[in-house]
Amino acid sequence: MAELPVLEEDLFSDDAIADPFPLYRRLRDLGPVVHLQTQGFPAVGRFADVRSVLGDASTFVSGQGVLWNDVANELTRGTTLASDPPEHAQLRKLVASRLTPRSLGVLRDEVDRKGRAVVDAALEAGEVDAVPAIAEAMPLSVVPDFLGFPEECRPHLLRWARGGVEAGAPVSARSPQAVEAAVELGQYAGHLVATRGIAEGTLGHDVLDALDAGVIDEQRCTALMLDYFGPSLETTLSAIGNAIALFTDHPDQWDLLRSDPEGLMASAFNEVVRLETPFRAFTRVASRDTEIDGVPVAVGTRIGVLFSSANRDERRWDDPDAFDIARRNSDHVGLGYGEHACAGQGLAKLEFAAVMGELARRVERFEPAGERVLTVSGLVRSYSSLPVRLVPARS
Amino acid sequence: MRVTVDRDRCEGHAQCVAVAPDVYDLDAGYVAVVRNGPEIPEHLRPLAALGADVCPVMAILVED
Repeated sequence: MAELPVLEEDLFSDDAIADPFPLYRRLRDLGPVVHLQTQGFPAVGRFADVRSVLGDASTFVSGQGVLWNDVANELTRGTTLASDPPEHAQLRKLVASRLTPRSLGVLRDEVDRKGRAVVDAALEAGEVDAVPAIAEAMPLSVVPDFLGFPEECRPHLLRWARGGVEAGAPVSARSPQAVEAAVELGQYAGHLVATRGIAEGTLGHDVLDALDAGVIDEQRCTALMLDYFGPSLETTLSAIGNAIALFTDHPDQWDLLRSDPEGLMASAFNEVVRLETPFRAFTRVASRDTEIDGVPVAVGTRIGVLFSSANRDERRWDDPDAFDIARRNSDHVGLGYGEHACAGQGLAKLEFAAVMGELARRVERFEPAGERVLTVSGLVRSYSSLPVRLVPARS
Repeated sequence: MRVTVDRDRCEGHAQCVAVAPDVYDLDAGYVAVVRNGPEIPEHLRPLAALGADVCPVMAILVED
């Protein structure tokens, strides 16, 4: 392979996680394909290159895993995430049909009601840590029921989900604890499959039905059970928390959203996910000798695909660091793109719109009420604490 | 010009309808359809292309 420009700093160090954006910019300026010295393989960070890699799922494959370390890539074998066409499309149809907007329509009223309940409680308290009170409360009130997971596991879900996601990050001091939680989660999923402990009429039960129909085997059944679980909590709570932080800092944008919550909610969601991308990056592997933007890439090369860098690429976005909910932003890559685009995005948007729409109708502004704490996580950008005061709208 | 939606691939995210409502619509089953398609007038090309561009699952094909 040709000499690539090298990024010497680790994109996943604690400091870089706290403020990765200057490093992403440097990476983009170094070239279309940049060798990451710490990880030992290259990455793409420009918008056009990220889109083209994600858009060509037969050249840049997922079947050897899409995560950032070998153990996680081994553990996620058999998931939709780590599968390739044509099998990928079958798996995705099998488990994701309940996640499409067409199927989610019937859930809208229920999710809206849960959004109202979350906002009722927060407004009653007046001053809250928006992470547990709102950002976590919303997906926790929707996702476990949607998957059909029993009540007994709910106290563990957040820790398992966090561990499950962090276990996919480059190996770090955070890994051992994360892997431990991920293994617990895997064992629990295996137990649910073995005991058929999942409520009927749910996504989880669809997967069991596929097992009983002989469409998939038991190992794959467990893998698929996990496919939609980890990402469904972590990313949604990240988006809701990041939204509240951004709207606290940009009251003019909150006023704008409040002026037309229905009309602006979709672009507000996109803008939050663009600017503070919940899930930072996956990887792919080149299935043949190819090139990216004129740079040769050899067969077998693992390539980092940096969504959050692409979402601030000045080659695509005017004033990329500005929070502007009215900008044209539907083509952001915060939910991936193409074959493997986030299958749960319909549900995530439903949850986001329910809780943020209710807040927009009832809260005039958010005021900071204490120190924010950013979560130190290799792959997910979110807050672990976000104290705010909710100033009620005069009705 | 010819614009088609792969009905098997479309998941109904409606991004195309959001950016180009003059070209795209959702049918009763939440699948994207091309208004008065598949052959559409040339002046709608930029909008049709924009709709294809924002489709998260690459279900829209714009051809000459």
